[in-house]
Amino acid sequence: MKRTLTLLMAAMVTAGLAVTTPAKAADKVVLMLNWYVYGEHAPFYYGKAKGIYAAEGIDLEIQEGRGSAATTQAVAAKTANFGYVDVPTMMRAAIKGAPVIATGVLLQTTAMSAMGFVDKNIRKPEDIKGKTVAITPADSITQIWPLFLKKTGLNESDFKTVAGDAQTKLNAVINGQADLLLGYVMDQSMKIKDATGKDVYPIKFADYGINLVSSGIIANTDYVKQNADLVKRFMSATTKAVEAAEKDPAAAAQSILDANPKGGKIGTLTQGFELTIPLYRTPETKDKRPFQVTDQNMKDSVDLMVEYGGLDAKAKENPKAFYTNDYLPK
Amino acid sequence: MAEPAVTTQWSRLLNAAWVRPLLFLVLIVVAWDLSIRIFHIPAYQIPAPADVVAVLWASWPELLGQAWPTTYATIAGFLLSALFGIPVAMLIAGSKTVESYVYPLLVFSQSIPKVAIAPLFVVWFGFGLLPKVICAFLLGFFPVVVSAVQGFKSVDPDMVDLARAMQGSRTNIFLAINLPHAMPAIFSGLKVSITLAVVGAVVGEFVGSNSGIGYVMQRSIGTFDLPTMFAALVILALMGVILFWVVDRIERLVIPWHASQRSDVIIAA
Repeated sequence: MKRTLTLLMAAMVTAGLAVTTPAKAADKVVLMLNWYVYGEHAPFYYGKAKGIYAAEGIDLEIQEGRGSAATTQAVAAKTANFGYVDVPTMMRAAIKGAPVIATGVLLQTTAMSAMGFVDKNIRKPEDIKGKTVAITPADSITQIWPLFLKKTGLNESDFKTVAGDAQTKLNAVINGQADLLLGYVMDQSMKIKDATGKDVYPIKFADYGINLVSSGIIANTDYVKQNADLVKRFMSATTKAVEAAEKDPAAAAQSILDANPKGGKIGTLTQGFELTIPLYRTPETKDKRPFQVTDQNMKDSVDLMVEYGGLDAKAKENPKAFYTNDYLPK
Repeated sequence: MAEPAVTTQWSRLLNAAWVRPLLFLVLIVVAWDLSIRIFHIPAYQIPAPADVVAVLWASWPELLGQAWPTTYATIAGFLLSALFGIPVAMLIAGSKTVESYVYPLLVFSQSIPKVAIAPLFVVWFGFGLLPKVICAFLLGFFPVVVSAVQGFKSVDPDMVDLARAMQGSRTNIFLAINLPHAMPAIFSGLKVSITLAVVGAVVGEFVGSNSGIGYVMQRSIGTFDLPTMFAALVILALMGVILFWVVDRIERLVIPWHASQRSDVIIAA
């Protein structure tokens, strides 16, 4: 009886101390990615590993997502604090009333491409004629595909199309059921290389006059209003993390594997991240820090999305409603 | 004491089989609409019933056209489930050896998520109807087998002995006693199986297809077109209801003698 009482007292005192010990607790922040982890996400893991987020008083948790659409919905519903998504996809949700805004646009050129094995020798749009292309219906890239066809003078009738989900697209190219798939230059190409050891050649949409921003950080508009300081610190930390990762891609890719041992292979994660870096800047922003997207670039992206991406025409009235550079460090 | 059964026009209407579920459905739709209004749920999270009905009204030719491939895959998969499921159940029920080898593995295979292996079917069988049929078959197979095994095992052994005493051949006994006695259980399994076959066909479409209701759903999710997505869900639910009803009608034809098929009899003495 006496022993139990003593133990109980000890437990209560410890608990009391733990609660009252003054400690500046870091802000817990959840960042949801656009997909399962791949090379493009290296800066976030690198920033976390190097303590860049901790230095700004942020305890970052990175969650893998299930598509930009799903992540955008999660951020709109406040299930995640920040999202890393395809900004044009976010625009589609925002115009329908989702309370989301991009606090920083990282990839200022599009990573979209049509890719196939190097030994298939499909290097120019004309080579696509007569081939089979694997698509995922209504995903971000497939919605821009008609514009690519228009810009390169191709018709839907010039090639065959097979549709499937993300895994089926990869399987189709790996097993020869399709010659090409629509994907991002740093994502599926690396997965195919991991699986087969063979190189993949992407025909980049950006090379054919498609000026569209790609991935960026988004947040809930209410969350941004209520946590302006936190958002500023998060963007500052992320900017520093991206800059640090750019300087050491191999270490950045390694930090993915340290956090997520099944996240891929170091060679292809590094290569994927290295393929992402050139997309961070346009000729107008080549000397600037990451995330500093120009108003013209965003306006062009909105115009393109309205014409080809199925975005509501009223988006053109106020392209600035979709993004803000106010929370970025100078 | 005779009680005159007064059946007015209204009470007969209310007692009709289709009116009550319809009323309940109307109630659910009203509750849905009220929740959206009261809780201010935004359109990109849950669409208003009015928008869904608008899509159904406006796009019903396209939705109907897309519903056919899914229906074919569902029915084909379901028929395969029945065709393979019932004989397998006969073997399991008839032989303890077969049961001890096969049944545990069947249960084990049931836990394998078909969504994960569906992409493999596309790799092996291409992008046509076959992977969808196989997905529908795999989902619908297990309920048929489990119910049929139960049915075949619950045949009254005394009846079988009686038939054998009357010099019935094995085939005769099977057709006259085992099969009819197992039918009620088999049909309950078939009814579950057909609704699961719908799910299987849609999973197959999500994974790799250019047509079907699953394809419509996938497309509408990507464009945040929630009214169309919900309209597709409604079509799928209707498909399940209609197919279930068809199996139910067939059951009525095949086993009219069973206790479950008797309607309430009002005896006015």
